[in-house]
Amino acid sequence: MLTYAFTTAWVVLTLIITVYLAAWNATQLAMSPAAAMFIWRHKRRNTNRSRAIVNYLSAAPQVSIIVPARNEELTVVDSVRALLGLQYEAREIVVVNDGSEDATLAVLEGAFQLVPAPAAFAEPIRTAPVRGFYRSIVAPELIVIDKESGGSKSDAVNAGINAASGTLLLVIDADTVLEPDALNRAVLPFLEDPTTMAVGGNVGIINGCRIVDDRIVEVALPTSWLARFQIIEYMRAFLLFRLACASMNAVVLVSGAFGLFSRDAVIAVGGYDGTAIGEDMDLTIRLQRHFRALGQPIRIAFDPNPLGWTQAPEDWSSLRSQRYRWRRGLLQSLWRHRGMIGNPRFGAVALGVLPYLLIFEVFEPVLQIGGLLIAVPAFFLGLLDWGYLRLLIVVSLAYGISVTLMAVLLSDMATRRYLRGRDLALLVAVVVLEHCGYRQLNAWWSCIGTIQAMRGQTGWGVMRRRAFGA
Amino acid sequence: MIDGPVYVQRIAALLIESSVILVVGMAVAVLLLRGLVAVEQALERRQLRRFQPLVDAALRGDPAALQHLAATPIRHRLLIGRLLIEPLIDDRDPARIASTRDIVRALSLIPVADGYLNSRLWWRRALALRAIGLIQATERTAALVAALDDPHADVRAAALDALTDLRDPASIPAVVVRLHDRSMHRGRCAAALAALGSECEPFLADMASIDETHRFNYARALAICGTARSRPLLAEWTHDRRPDVCAAAFEGLAHVGLDEDAARLAIDALDREEVPVRAMAALALRGWRGPGDGAIRLARLLDDEWPVAVNAARSLRSMGLDGAVVLQTYGARPGLAGELARQMLWQQDVRC
Repeated sequence: MLTYAFTTAWVVLTLIITVYLAAWNATQLAMSPAAAMFIWRHKRRNTNRSRAIVNYLSAAPQVSIIVPARNEELTVVDSVRALLGLQYEAREIVVVNDGSEDATLAVLEGAFQLVPAPAAFAEPIRTAPVRGFYRSIVAPELIVIDKESGGSKSDAVNAGINAASGTLLLVIDADTVLEPDALNRAVLPFLEDPTTMAVGGNVGIINGCRIVDDRIVEVALPTSWLARFQIIEYMRAFLLFRLACASMNAVVLVSGAFGLFSRDAVIAVGGYDGTAIGEDMDLTIRLQRHFRALGQPIRIAFDPNPLGWTQAPEDWSSLRSQRYRWRRGLLQSLWRHRGMIGNPRFGAVALGVLPYLLIFEVFEPVLQIGGLLIAVPAFFLGLLDWGYLRLLIVVSLAYGISVTLMAVLLSDMATRRYLRGRDLALLVAVVVLEHCGYRQLNAWWSCIGTIQAMRGQTGWGVMRRRAFGA
Repeated sequence: MIDGPVYVQRIAALLIESSVILVVGMAVAVLLLRGLVAVEQALERRQLRRFQPLVDAALRGDPAALQHLAATPIRHRLLIGRLLIEPLIDDRDPARIASTRDIVRALSLIPVADGYLNSRLWWRRALALRAIGLIQATERTAALVAALDDPHADVRAAALDALTDLRDPASIPAVVVRLHDRSMHRGRCAAALAALGSECEPFLADMASIDETHRFNYARALAICGTARSRPLLAEWTHDRRPDVCAAAFEGLAHVGLDEDAARLAIDALDREEVPVRAMAALALRGWRGPGDGAIRLARLLDDEWPVAVNAARSLRSMGLDGAVVLQTYGARPGLAGELARQMLWQQDVRC
């Protein structure tokens, strides 16, 4: 009886896995032409002359760059120096020290000669208490807010939003290094189209790059295999999925590492939600939801060229906690906005992107791990069809590698990074090797993250940072 | 590979074949693209080594270099054109523009641009427009103006960029009448107005007199390119019953500067009900040091809505002794007004 039930379950599962894998790979490959078209059009449109528009304006839009920093003593000074060197002049930098337990505030005070300064700001968004407000003697455009920890990045960003005087808000991570012309490029959609509420950008991985004077002078693959795997993942995420979303004006995630927002739009939706685990995704979906529900046009633009660079974790525990958090954030966002899914009022976001996330991003790891777990008893019960298993492995490996190679191709089209012959050999090795354990491990972490989400677990976990260039 | 009926085996074989073809196809595509990029970069480096010194020498006025460039085969002309014209995006030195234009003419690149203007491919039309604008070939203004009606939005955007670079007053009417065209890029329209400058003023005033509906746009335009000449007109528009027009008129006055009459209007408007009007009236008073109780009235707005309070505080900071006295008084108070006053005083001290 037990054997019969197991056999039936096994047959059903193998059928589901086959259909599911076919649908998933087909969807990913279908995204490729849309993404390639988007890159091609973007390259044609965003000429050097287009990027120079802000230089021709008598008053470029004021941008407040908000840098939430918690225990970022190793990277925050370099990040701020890089921000001070941006080409875009109409900007202020608001660093929010979110109850750091290390010397984040002290290193900022030392590097930029901070002095306490009176500050007034409206508080459209409530945050944890602010302890102090500092301005720099050497860099007048730098403001540092010292506040008690609100337990989330959102709370720190909200404090920055309250103090910001710009009409546009650039929210970045403390370890993000921006391209010198990142803001010139990112403000362009706001100048072109008044319905633009946010602009997201491709984010590169800084590990392995050579940095001189807080600027990236050479882009290279990192030496750590863990970071290399993440480069491939970023390519797939930014250049396949998000570009496909952008081509339908249905972006649901403006990365926390680089997001430029209309201040009015962010305040209209109540700022970042302190209880959101994936605060960047939650905010983006809330923007889409708010304006579409009101029947107001909304555009969230995306730049396929790298606007910023961020550190990828190079140790297993940091990566694991990051992946747990991403998973919990995804599930929480989808659960909170489940009412949008399938509702034509919300356009392609509700009819295409959110269902895709639900069907493929949510269930894929569960199916993958479920299949592996059930294969073990199936082997011992003699139910394993080796022919079918071989077929499944070969086909899924081949399709997986194809999708990743497509992402590499799109990356070559958009960014022309990692072009040396050695880089190509390494990338191909990474593409193949990530299927031999890394992806399965990620799927396992996603399953654990799912359990954590079901238990209502929150928190960020610990991320180990390295000084740039270290 | 797999046991079962024939059709299952066929499907399995098909799946394997298609996946292998896909992998090989993608790998070949990656290799091909990388190969193409490598060849392109190598060629470009070679041509740069070859032509950049000649271009630099020609720009310095070396006739031999110009002759050499003019003798190059037509297939290299586009690259030479790029080497000549692209630096003009950042370097708008009139002398450099003039010498570039002369060289471009000597290389017969203008007819090439004309050909591109009639191309079926939108990016070629856009490229030609931008090039013509950057070298300020004013004899092509009509073509650039005509391109403002191009069916492709990016070509229209390129035409606006070109007119911005061209700075030909003959294009003013074409730019101004398109201020209300929602298909035109706002930022580019603003850039064109800023580039064309005060010469737009008379035409804007004429248009505004016959087109009251779009007064808001004209007021915003004067806030970009207006001068003191527009002050009476903007002052008149502050009486408009539409709050957005009224606010835009005060924004314009903030740009062109106040006289006593306009300052009185701004001070009176500080009591208006509409937040944007109060905010812009407060902005208009920035730097005002003439008669009136502006400083005292502004101080009352320090705990108003945030945009009003900020503009009032900044204006007070810029009003000299009157402003400083009021800020000192309010600086001792609690709440938003006191905090804003203290912040302004602190910033004033730092600036000193």
